[in-house]
Amino acid sequence: MLKSTRRDFVKGASSLALGAAFASPALIEAARAWAAESPWKPEDGAKLRMLRWKRFVQSEGEAFQASLDAFTKATGVEIRLDSEGFEDLRPKAAVAANIGSGPDVIWGIHADAHLYPDAMLDITDVCDHLGGKYGGWYPIAEHYGKGRDGKWINLPITISGNLINYRKSMVQKAGFDKIPDNTADFLKLFQNLKKNGSPGGFALGNASGDGNCWTHWILWSHGGRVVDENDNVVVNSPETVAGLEYVKELGENFVQGTASWLDGHNNKAFLQGACSVTNNGISIYAAAVREGMKDVAEDMDHAFYPVGPVGEPTEFHVAFPMMPYKHTKYPNAVKALLAWLMEKEQYDAFLQGSVGYLSHSLKAFQEHPVWTEDPKRTVFRDVAQRSRSFAHAGTLGYAASTVFADFVVVNMVAEVATGARSPQDAAKRAQKRAERYYKV
Amino acid sequence: MATTTEAEQVTPVGEDSSWYERLKHNRNWLGFLFMVPAAAILLVFLAYPLGLGVWLGFTDVKVGRPGQFVGFDNYAWLLEDDVFWLSVFNTFLYTVVASIFKFAIGLWLAVLLNRHMPFKSFLRAIVLLPFIVPTVLSALAFWWIYDSQDSVISWTLIEMGLIERPIDFLGDPNNARASVIVANIWRGIPFVAITLLAGLQTISPSLYEAATIDGANEWQRFWRITLPLLTPIIAVVMTFSVLFTFTDFQLIWVMTRGGPINATHLMATLSYQRAIIGGSLGEGAAIATAMIPFLLAAILFSYFGLQRRKWQQGGVDD
Amino acid sequence: MTEASVGRKAAGREGMAYLESIPRNVVTVYIPLAIIVFVLLFPFYWMGITTLKTNEELYAYRGLKALWVYEPTFENIRHLLFETDYPRWVWNTMFVTVTATFLSLFCAVCAAYGIERLRYKGARTIGMLIFLAYLVPPSILFIPLSIMVFKLGIFDSNWALILTYPTILIPFCTWLLMGYFRSIPYELEECALIDGATRLQILTKIILPLSVPGLISAGIFAFTLSWNEFIYALTFISSAEKKTVPVGAVTELITFDVYNWGGLMAGALLGSLPVAILYSFFVEHYVSSMTGAVKE
Repeated sequence: MLKSTRRDFVKGASSLALGAAFASPALIEAARAWAAESPWKPEDGAKLRMLRWKRFVQSEGEAFQASLDAFTKATGVEIRLDSEGFEDLRPKAAVAANIGSGPDVIWGIHADAHLYPDAMLDITDVCDHLGGKYGGWYPIAEHYGKGRDGKWINLPITISGNLINYRKSMVQKAGFDKIPDNTADFLKLFQNLKKNGSPGGFALGNASGDGNCWTHWILWSHGGRVVDENDNVVVNSPETVAGLEYVKELGENFVQGTASWLDGHNNKAFLQGACSVTNNGISIYAAAVREGMKDVAEDMDHAFYPVGPVGEPTEFHVAFPMMPYKHTKYPNAVKALLAWLMEKEQYDAFLQGSVGYLSHSLKAFQEHPVWTEDPKRTVFRDVAQRSRSFAHAGTLGYAASTVFADFVVVNMVAEVATGARSPQDAAKRAQKRAERYYKV
Repeated sequence: MATTTEAEQVTPVGEDSSWYERLKHNRNWLGFLFMVPAAAILLVFLAYPLGLGVWLGFTDVKVGRPGQFVGFDNYAWLLEDDVFWLSVFNTFLYTVVASIFKFAIGLWLAVLLNRHMPFKSFLRAIVLLPFIVPTVLSALAFWWIYDSQDSVISWTLIEMGLIERPIDFLGDPNNARASVIVANIWRGIPFVAITLLAGLQTISPSLYEAATIDGANEWQRFWRITLPLLTPIIAVVMTFSVLFTFTDFQLIWVMTRGGPINATHLMATLSYQRAIIGGSLGEGAAIATAMIPFLLAAILFSYFGLQRRKWQQGGVDD
Repeated sequence: MTEASVGRKAAGREGMAYLESIPRNVVTVYIPLAIIVFVLLFPFYWMGITTLKTNEELYAYRGLKALWVYEPTFENIRHLLFETDYPRWVWNTMFVTVTATFLSLFCAVCAAYGIERLRYKGARTIGMLIFLAYLVPPSILFIPLSIMVFKLGIFDSNWALILTYPTILIPFCTWLLMGYFRSIPYELEECALIDGATRLQILTKIILPLSVPGLISAGIFAFTLSWNEFIYALTFISSAEKKTVPVGAVTELITFDVYNWGGLMAGALLGSLPVAILYSFFVEHYVSSMTGAVKE
């Protein structure tokens, strides 16, 4: 019963959105009312170009487009929206920063704005306004949003959750009702799964999303970290080694081939039933629902990562912030647009359209129905509160981004999980690699 | 040099003293004119950015932030970086193994296709297919063919009773290297084969007939006639094949991103990862620049090495 | 096996020897050929069946059943053709590729002729320099290049690709043509010069007709390379309607970790189909024009 209504709902939502690729009259009305009140008045004749990552789900893309359309109707600012694959966006964002030209706003990923903070427009006023109006930002949003001098240099509009995905039937067969909440039992689960011939597995390849998410969780769960508060590299620590010892045992129970897995592999293996437990966004579930793979959709669920010896959640979720470029000719139009994109009038629809892929970064949206209408989405509601940034204790910047992009943590964990190095050696090597970049 | 002087003797026509006439016959002027289109494009869109790239290698420029001249710092760093050295090793392995196979199979295929047989032209056309499909997309097909759980190759071998569990194509470092090399060979064979086939067609059958009359066996005919006469085209084809393999990027980027644990990282992919994704333009540029001496050596070897053979055979050059 | 086939080539043309030794041919020629062709074509078969599968079938298979399609669907192709800008990408790719190829061939013919036949002062050095042009891969050239492309005001236009692709194409084309030009006897040119022909006339009337096979190989090569080019197309183009096939397919059909397999494979196949047809024509031409082209 429940399932069929959910599916109908998803279908209904997307077909509705299909018709509404342009804003509904109500949304335009709301935008007009909002524009009249807004402290940011776009320049006359302003035109904006915006580049975003290719939407995950059509309904989100359409909700977003409708929102832009309403903004155009209300303010007269024309917006040209292009989209680009998620990984391919980063070079473009870098080029735009480098040559001081290109799109006015890029909806990017991670903390790219911190790589070229001087190329970013100061949007402190917009973010303060939004934070004040909507119950405040989650700490992680503030961490990503603000540059070193405390000015907001990008808008942390959303965080995309990456959590444990599991097959209920296989986990139950392995003797657990649900994913255990601590790492010790989690290991037992993996051992049992392997024994039952339905192993789980996490990506150990250079998978920028899934690989980074779960390896940082493991590292942090045992108290390890790449750098301390003063950006000293401390990855080679007893805590890290303890985490890696854990990985060694866990890794022995992985499904074959995880060493090669990139972001897409676990989706495929999970949908095919070849992998019982993995980490991912909501995309596997969404695909199962969309493709009518009833068995998979009904048999799967999501859970938080188990908590390690440190006793608190140590999760990493991917931020998708909007980067306003200083080179824009129309800074006020950019500010007005960014403010509008987080106003309730349309953010509600945006969250709804995202069907759990994207989570809110402002506290006021915690009660949004998208999180409760399908209980399998509910855990994704809390990702912003539970997430750390990849720099964690240290500062976001070149060193953190480079260490992250160079897969230092992923490689360290993979070396141990595949048995290529001992935990001690792997930690030592990671220390050396990280030090190179933090020396800068 | 013999031909050069010979050719020079042929230009005595420049007696007319009009500027235009002289221009028409002065080989240096003409040479300059003929070079203009290529030079314009290459200087503006290649030499200048190349210079910029080399210069970047000596700076600590980050994406979006101007840097300072740091001398050989980047290179000093790279010398100590085992991931870099691994990528150098991988690049060499990848280039050498793939080039040898591409050459051997390509030449073999060219020779086979050079025969008289039914559907000859159809065969020649379909052999080119791997070269035509956009590499990114064929790499995705391989991605699935090499899948760790559901590889069709594994399944076939299991059905045939040859193996018991799926092969871990991309998860084991050595398997992964072999797998990406096979994909590269797959993509590279058509180019080598078809170009060598073109070369084979220029060899006059009368030479073979004469050799047969002189009692040469098939192997001797191949070794003494086909190979020497094919050498100039082999030189060009293989030099370029080596170059493209050495700087390959798309295939690795789609299939492994350099994994597992950097076992398939090539210098080009590492340079992209560090420069573009990681933002260290200077270091990335240094990695790319570090490819230059290796490439240069590879080119000099294949170019002069193969070319020299031709001179020894009494070729026309220099 | 190799030597057998080579040696037989001359005889094979006569037709007799090849009839005599069919069993031997099977072992030395047809079996190896069949294996190579099978390996070369298998990924295409794979792309083909993946295109025709529903996602459900694609994910549900196990074992050798994967090798067949039980519920073929044209949905992936329909989606690609009618719900994405695919036809547009094909057109863009065609336009860019053809223009860049002709531009490169023009430059390469001039340069190769200059270096190889005019032998002006420093021709060798220039030849080597052109060769060196390959030394930095596009993956590192594209940042400095994009600055220039932007300064020239051709960012996000076809011209950005038409003008930068030749940097990848000219060196190879030039060197290939140099090889062909070199094999043309100097006497031909000398006679023409004595008869009062200009260099341009010699080039267009004598050298080029004799170099058709070389031009075709160079053209095929340049065409394919620009058809497949990825990094420049990715960086210099941002509007969806100006993308090329590889970039468009990858950016439109992969949404982060969800791959539209059917669509991607359909894109790969449909994208190569027109080129494959074009090629089958050229390969024929290429082979026939070859015979006797450079004979004494």
